[in-house]
Amino acid sequence: MRLLSPLSWLISPLALLTLWALVAKAGLFPVNLLVPPLEVWHSFAELLATGELQEHLSGSLSRLALGFAGGSLAGLAFGTALALSKTLEAYCAPLFHTLRQIPSIALIPMFVLLFGVDETFKVVIVAKTAFFPVALATCEGVRAIPRSHFEVAAVYRLRWTTLVGRIALPAAVPAIVTGVRVALTRAWVVLVACELLAADSGLGQMIEMARQMLRIDVVMVGVVVTGVIGFTLDFGLRRLERRLSNWQSR
Amino acid sequence: MKVRDMRGLVLPLLMVGAWEYASRQGAAGAYAFVPLAQVASAMAELLGSGELLINLWASLTRTCTGLGVGIVGGIGLGALMALCGPANRLIAPLFHALRQVPMLGWIPLIALWLGNGESAKLLIVSLAALYPMVLNTFESRRQVEGQHREAAQVLMLSRWQQLRLILLPAAVPGIAAGVLQALAFAWVTSVGSELFLSSGAGLGSLMMNAEAAARMEIIIVCVLCIGLSGYLMSWLCTLLSRRLLRWRPNR
Amino acid sequence: MNAIAHPLHPSVDTGALTICGLSKTYALKGRPVKVLKDIDLNIRPGEFVSILGASGCGKSTLLRLIVGLDQDYQGQILLDQQPVRGPGLERGIVFQDHRLFPWMTLQQNIALALKNHVMPAAQKDRLVAEHIDLVGLRGFELAYPHQLSGGMAQRAAIARALVNKPKVLLLDEPLGALDALTRVRLQQELQRIWIQERCTVIMVTHDIDEALYLGDRVIVMDANPGTIREDLPIDLPHPRERDSALLQGYKQRLLGELVGH
Repeated sequence: MRLLSPLSWLISPLALLTLWALVAKAGLFPVNLLVPPLEVWHSFAELLATGELQEHLSGSLSRLALGFAGGSLAGLAFGTALALSKTLEAYCAPLFHTLRQIPSIALIPMFVLLFGVDETFKVVIVAKTAFFPVALATCEGVRAIPRSHFEVAAVYRLRWTTLVGRIALPAAVPAIVTGVRVALTRAWVVLVACELLAADSGLGQMIEMARQMLRIDVVMVGVVVTGVIGFTLDFGLRRLERRLSNWQSR
Repeated sequence: MKVRDMRGLVLPLLMVGAWEYASRQGAAGAYAFVPLAQVASAMAELLGSGELLINLWASLTRTCTGLGVGIVGGIGLGALMALCGPANRLIAPLFHALRQVPMLGWIPLIALWLGNGESAKLLIVSLAALYPMVLNTFESRRQVEGQHREAAQVLMLSRWQQLRLILLPAAVPGIAAGVLQALAFAWVTSVGSELFLSSGAGLGSLMMNAEAAARMEIIIVCVLCIGLSGYLMSWLCTLLSRRLLRWRPNR
Repeated sequence: MNAIAHPLHPSVDTGALTICGLSKTYALKGRPVKVLKDIDLNIRPGEFVSILGASGCGKSTLLRLIVGLDQDYQGQILLDQQPVRGPGLERGIVFQDHRLFPWMTLQQNIALALKNHVMPAAQKDRLVAEHIDLVGLRGFELAYPHQLSGGMAQRAAIARALVNKPKVLLLDEPLGALDALTRVRLQQELQRIWIQERCTVIMVTHDIDEALYLGDRVIVMDANPGTIREDLPIDLPHPRERDSALLQGYKQRLLGELVGH
């Protein structure tokens, strides 16, 4: 029974795959609307063999890395400053919270006009998407460090390096990592959307080109790879999140 | 106190000023940075011709329809998964696998199957609203504390009474949080889907057409409109859920 | 305050609880752990029994078995000669945490206990109002649990347990989470309510003063496995004085036994 129960999770995916294969084989729909799963697999293997997939993937991931690193570092710095400085808060908080409301996707046309359709536009929009969740989480994480921790530190006359390294950071980091995770997932979604709309390389562009050429098999490969990447990014940060917050009772 | 409040306006005003300044720096600047007067006149024009309202209305109705479908379907599916173990075994793997694909990533596939008309967009918006509803409904059932269930047992409530009087109200906060998330997703996805499938009315279509014609002022008006509507909708939703959840302590 | 006939209320003739050879085993990390062993207990109708013991002696488990939340045990539990199976409205329970439903007002929480009684709505309303009065919460009918203090919420929980007119009222450290002053006040209230309602009460506690002040009998339990060490009758009419020499004497004795001077 113990061996069987994890396997039972596979029932429905396998059933769906079988159904898909059967319906495709029966020819109820034209092939350019429903390709058999085996053909999707072949396309995947072919894209891998020619190196096309790797090329698109590295294009997308390097954009993500560049934009995300810039946006999240800026967010980290701004969020910390916002939490610590009352003056900065008075000047920046209203604008920050207003701009936060505007979804990144809605900014795509504007950024295209401002930065053109080249790399800059994609990196900037990924950075923008990453900035806001990270800044918000950092600000709240830093603010949520209990005052009493600092009082305890004062009683024991801890040096300020110890104070930051051993007390402030561990207390704020779990919240920040959660923000980083949300930001990364969103940045990935927005990047793929940008590539679908305007790009000469990248996963989104591959999907869009395949759509225009009615290569539904390639579209499906692209969709699945997009999902796997998104899942991996989220999963990795979730693991990190759990490790960093294992002192919390949850 | 008054002076303090004004400090928040400094930065936005500076930004607007810089924008206006950039717009006066020759032809290259004026292409991307349109003068503020032009934005204002575009706003007046779009409002006057009713174009803005028609497109806003189209985006809003799709959001609400998709949200409705997502809420009903999501609560149903989430409750089924939470209350029936075998159903969860069958649905959960598929659900979590499909959930990993970014919403807008589905657009090319759905466009191939359903064309680029309203039905494709509605499907995408409904799916976007469905995910958070299923997740939140499922999770909130787990959050009904064991002690509440025991208290219900001691009071000899029947299964149906437990469902109606204990499980359902206990799930309401989670579901309300889900609706708030679903609303945000549905709104973004509704506008986003119009960027890709820009046939028909909608703020996204309006923006794409403006982009093609390099009409920055129209894009700005649209972005303002999208931000404001999204904010107003989530504000209304929060008010509603606070009314519904007045039994909770104010945090 | 007039003295009430002791120890039995002549008018009460139901609510006798008989426990024979009761044992209970849990599986902890695959190994069986005996929490209760050969418990025999005879409780007369209308009696107030305090069960006293250190934490982990199985006293709360005993209550869970009697109320029927846990039906996996050896031995017998009889209420008026009828075996107990699962929860029933003739047994009411108050937990340490009040367990009121946060989305219902005080009134709705108490009315919920009457949900499956066949009686006119007006009569239900009257019963609910009476019991809110009984625990001294008039004026708070429309308050939500988060608006009540800990002591008030516990009074409400007592009202909810009593509104069904249970033959046996089980109290699982009902005052354990309250501050010392509220605790003393609610102990007096409990005594008053019990004199008025005249049902059988079994109260689990780890507070010696509380057990002595309220109980007609104090059952002292040992841990690992949970057994009855002593069954101490307290021959003192209710309502009692806290500083009575008799109670003080018993207290010294119990302290010696439980803590070991």
